[in-house]
Amino acid sequence: MMGDQFRKVEQYSPKSSPRGARSPVVSRQDSSGTLKTTILLGKNPSIVPSGPFYLMKEPPGESDLTGATNLMTYYGLEHSYSKFSGKKLKEQLSSFLPTLPGVIDAPGQQDNSSLRSVIEKPPVGGKELLPLSNIQLDGFRLHPGPLPEQYRYANATPIKKHKNKHKKHKHKESGLPSQETAISDTSSETHEKKHKKQKRHDEEKRKRKKEKKRKKQKHSPEHSSGMTPGQHSM
Amino acid sequence: MASSSLENLETQLELFIENVRQIHIIVSDFQPQSQSVLNQKLQTLVHGLQEVDKLKSQVQEVHVPLEVFDYIDQGRNPQLYTKDCIEKALAKNEQVKGKIDAYRKFKANMLVELSRTFPNELSKYRALRADE
Repeated sequence: MMGDQFRKVEQYSPKSSPRGARSPVVSRQDSSGTLKTTILLGKNPSIVPSGPFYLMKEPPGESDLTGATNLMTYYGLEHSYSKFSGKKLKEQLSSFLPTLPGVIDAPGQQDNSSLRSVIEKPPVGGKELLPLSNIQLDGFRLHPGPLPEQYRYANATPIKKHKNKHKKHKHKESGLPSQETAISDTSSETHEKKHKKQKRHDEEKRKRKKEKKRKKQKHSPEHSSGMTPGQHSM
Repeated sequence: MASSSLENLETQLELFIENVRQIHIIVSDFQPQSQSVLNQKLQTLVHGLQEVDKLKSQVQEVHVPLEVFDYIDQGRNPQLYTKDCIEKALAKNEQVKGKIDAYRKFKANMLVELSRTFPNELSKYRALRADE
């Protein structure tokens, strides 16, 4: 009984199948034992035998421009690169726009002059720009006299500031006292000055003492002949 | 075309700023006899705005990154932005080139090792892929 059951099972097993281990649904053309199929899914799924390898895909098409090429050279930006990479750029905006009058290094949000505000709140435009009529010009009739102090800040040019800064730096390096110090110098510098003055004063004192000593020595009988005390005793 | 129009705009803006600077000088210590000069300068101001407005159409294709505006608003040199961009682009270019070179070497080594282990299969593969 048992033996008959096993035989029955073996009859239905794929090993005993007349087609071997292959699926009975798919017809196979190649008998090499290797397989490459393309499985198409969708409304009409189908299996297309297409070669000897599994999961073989077509390689992606090679693009002309990849990261393997030097893109800086490709786009002709070598000049810009050498221009900016070599030298150390100055941080301030005034170094980029040296001819622009006024203080431009301060943040634009402080005086509502930021470019962001122009984007976020665009000014009213679209109207034709016309020259001012005589009546309109009457609105610009001014009283004689100087401006109040709060409106005079724009007189200070950034170029002057840079010069002063540069000089300050030089002085720090050389340690020489400055002759062209501005009125708005910091207290630390004035302190340095005082200190240096004191040093000078001390040196002068020492010199005076030395001179006094020399004079005393000259006037003393021991030094009148220009001989040492030992020589004199001889 | 773009560079010449930009130069024109730059010149016009410089003239405009210079005119404003002169108005500032006249106004900062105003004298009664300066009124006619001031009126003339104000008309020049309007004319300057007209000239800038005319050049608007010539610079439509010029695109400026918004980050540059942030640099300018903070009182920083906008060339620093260009420098940062160039340095970043160069670093990324080098990284990608390194990756591509590494993959190429990996592929070459892989083919050598596969040809040792599976010579028949690889010859078939090479036949399929004519460029390999």
